[in-house]
Amino acid sequence: MEHLHPPKLAAKLFDWYSGHANVEDLRGDLEENFYRNAKKTNIRYARKTYWKQVLSLITSYALWKRKRKANHSETSLFNQLTMLQNYFKIAFRNLVKQKYFAVINIIGLAIGMSVSLLFIAVISYLTNYESFHENKDQIYRITSTLTEGTNTQQYAIAPAALAVKLKEESATVEKVVRINSSFDAVITHAHKEIPLRGYYTDPDFFALFTFPLLEGNLETLLDKPNQIVLTASAAKKLFAEETIVGKVITIEGIGECVVSGVLADVPKNTHLDFEVLCSYSTLPSAQARSQQDAWTNFYPEYVYFLTKPETDMSALLTQLSGIEKEMYKASDDVRASFQIQALEDITMGPELRAGLGVQWDSLSLVIFGTLCLLILLPACFNYSNISIARALKRSKEIGLRKALGSLKQQIFVQFITETIVITLISLLLACFIFILIRAEFQSMLVAANKLDLSLTPKMLIGFLIFALLAGLVAGMVPALYFSKLNPIQALKSSGSTKTASVSSMRKGLTVLQFVLSFSFIIGLVVFSKQYRYTLNFDFGFQQANLLDVPLQDVSSQNFDAHFSSLASVNNISYSSDILGINAIETYVIAYGQQDSLQVFQMFVNEHYLENLGLTLLAGENFKKEENSLERSIIVNEEFLTKHNIATPADALGKVYTVDSVDLQIIGVVKNFHFMNLREPIYSFFFRYNPSQFQYANLSIASADIASTLVRMEEVWHKLSPDTPFEAIFFEKEIADAYDSYKILLKIVGFLGVLAISISCLGLLGMVVYTTEGKTKEVGIRKVMGASAASITYLLSKEYVKLMSLAVILATPITWLFFDKLLSQLQYYSVSISIWDVAISIVILITLGLSSIATQTLRTAATNPAETLKYE
Amino acid sequence: MKVYLGEFEELVLLTVASLGEDAYGVAIQEAIEMYSGREVSIGALHSTITRLEEKGLLKSWTGGATQERGGRRKRYYDLTREGKIALNNTKTLRDELWSISKVKLSF
Repeated sequence: MEHLHPPKLAAKLFDWYSGHANVEDLRGDLEENFYRNAKKTNIRYARKTYWKQVLSLITSYALWKRKRKANHSETSLFNQLTMLQNYFKIAFRNLVKQKYFAVINIIGLAIGMSVSLLFIAVISYLTNYESFHENKDQIYRITSTLTEGTNTQQYAIAPAALAVKLKEESATVEKVVRINSSFDAVITHAHKEIPLRGYYTDPDFFALFTFPLLEGNLETLLDKPNQIVLTASAAKKLFAEETIVGKVITIEGIGECVVSGVLADVPKNTHLDFEVLCSYSTLPSAQARSQQDAWTNFYPEYVYFLTKPETDMSALLTQLSGIEKEMYKASDDVRASFQIQALEDITMGPELRAGLGVQWDSLSLVIFGTLCLLILLPACFNYSNISIARALKRSKEIGLRKALGSLKQQIFVQFITETIVITLISLLLACFIFILIRAEFQSMLVAANKLDLSLTPKMLIGFLIFALLAGLVAGMVPALYFSKLNPIQALKSSGSTKTASVSSMRKGLTVLQFVLSFSFIIGLVVFSKQYRYTLNFDFGFQQANLLDVPLQDVSSQNFDAHFSSLASVNNISYSSDILGINAIETYVIAYGQQDSLQVFQMFVNEHYLENLGLTLLAGENFKKEENSLERSIIVNEEFLTKHNIATPADALGKVYTVDSVDLQIIGVVKNFHFMNLREPIYSFFFRYNPSQFQYANLSIASADIASTLVRMEEVWHKLSPDTPFEAIFFEKEIADAYDSYKILLKIVGFLGVLAISISCLGLLGMVVYTTEGKTKEVGIRKVMGASAASITYLLSKEYVKLMSLAVILATPITWLFFDKLLSQLQYYSVSISIWDVAISIVILITLGLSSIATQTLRTAATNPAETLKYE
Repeated sequence: MKVYLGEFEELVLLTVASLGEDAYGVAIQEAIEMYSGREVSIGALHSTITRLEEKGLLKSWTGGATQERGGRRKRYYDLTREGKIALNNTKTLRDELWSISKVKLSF
């Protein structure tokens, strides 16, 4: 009679399917049948029949009814509610009883969640983008993939000519709108001059997008040249009166225009961002472009179109590829292919170059989300860690519950409920932190004005769901652990039932947290080092006491005549750009040769080298030659290297063709950083052409800067009464260019503080637990003569070990990562030294030890008589 | 309330009655198979029993575990008063119809 048992799988299937239903008699029937069949015929037949009968029962009304009864009986539902109530009660009692742990857990989780709340708030707002357009599901835009030589990139732009073509040829496209985002002009009305930005666009703009019209006739908006539509706030800046439609204003570069309508202000939740709309036919060069140019050089033109509801796009895609074949040959230098992007995919879509308005691309959101997780998960780990560490205290309770008939699921639900209670309390605190950091966060964003993070019901629901999920993640491990606890062991053992796997998992989590904290500390150390390095970098030219004044419409001769007479001005030079920030590139051909080489250039006058303290290695400076033709250049050392010229002296007299003008080298300057430090030094030359001057660089001697500036402003207003006087110190301009580091430092610093405080809290929780468990041991050791110091050492030893492990693991990874990152961010970058790592290690260990110090020292100092007397 | 019995329901009720104090799942199944000579699937049998219980024609209680059932208890069934009435009604109806039959039914 060996092997005589029903098929296990069938029995399991039956039990699983039956669930809570009372099927004892059915199982008995099945088994009885099985043994009878086995006796009567053979085992094979018995097994087969068993399977058949199981399937027959599973599909029967009888079992369905019994399951229903088990799930829906009134007593069972009532029981469940009562149990849930009990879980909440126990959860709150535990919170109150274990105040210390509760506070640590709640603070930790709140800190961890606060950053994620920012993320949820941003996402929740971004999902509202474009939601106000009535036709939002039918609006699309055409994006393009531009291939220039070997370089292929995705752009948000598309040729306006394509819009015209689609309007004529496509059946899919209902209405098409061209947008040219180049409108950026000073608008004059009644002696008020207001610079405004906006788009040139077609009348159908209003058929696609829903922007409420406050004044004007929708039918005739923008249908003739020189018509504009203003937003309410732009109109308010220009006009004092109420009725504005029909008024004539003057636009710089265009002439007189008629205001044909006023729109409500553009809401924040759209990627379109304008103050003025001007009729597309106003665009000066709209007609005057060659066919070729219109299809290859179409920045900043955008094409949006409207389709019928639920249109299939495949016909249009075929048509677009047809147009591509027609317009571009494979041999063309510039080729484009076109794609369709739905309006709602624009925000949070892929990153496109030359995007219209503010971009929220998916990649940066993913990075943001990952950072949030890096902060949140450690907080969840902490919770799991501390909860499992307290398993001993709870094991009696679990054992008793199980002995009285609690199911695994019920224990699981109990612990999840407890975690969720804690996360909901943490959520309140996290919301508070969220409100505190919200403004600071927004100030760091470029697109802050297109983001509204005030609390909305949708956002709050998002927060709540998030808190529940976080609770589930944090509570999962302890809940599973407790639900699997063996009731006999849990009740029997007085002390450590903890298995090796749990304790090593806990250690693993602690190490992981320290790895994270350590990375943030190193990040902070190296970024601040890089920032200091950049600020103190020797650019190769002098920055102090130089004031840059944009010339605007004042000519350099005129400026010179008035400003050189000022007592506080030592020297005035002129330039086309600001050195050290950016430079314009062009191509140069050596005299008599074919190949052109890239070179950066800047137009300056004869005082520039002296003003900026640049060193001439050979040759001479420009001479004052105002009316003569441009004929000379001064090159840098890199230029010589690029063109294989051995010494500076050899370079003098050589002739190069630039923009079809022959220029002779008259001087060579020592290398200096004409671009920002992200780029290496390229070949470069200075040219002399007063018509290109944009800035005056004033070398100031006066100690009283404020009065000097006032004096200068007075002089400026004599020269140009209509434009404001602008001046900025060169030093500040350079420093401002590296502001991104400050933001980076702030972010890394803030996240670092969060990560570190979370891991310190976790550590504190663990230490509280271990020292509590060791009071007797410590007491005995003290009685036997151990010193307080040796006991502190004993208690901290394990944590120092864990931290050391974290450091050993983290150092190589972070070292490589930051070394790579630093050189990616900037060509001239610091490298990580052993000292940076050493400082980071010291910071980590100090923070870790000081967070456990209160507990270890207190335990070491307790009087052994106190702890031992209860024995 | 007049309760109508299906053919199989009637069969189950009569079998339960015939088994007396030993009417539980396997026994009922075997008895039906023995008397009627047709194979009965356990699912169909228990579904019918469940329906009969819902109609209040059968009552059940548990008891009597045996070794060959893996120590599991049996569920015994018995007719309720309504069950007996329903069987009687059916029988009366049939007898009446037999007695008034104008075709000679017996061989």
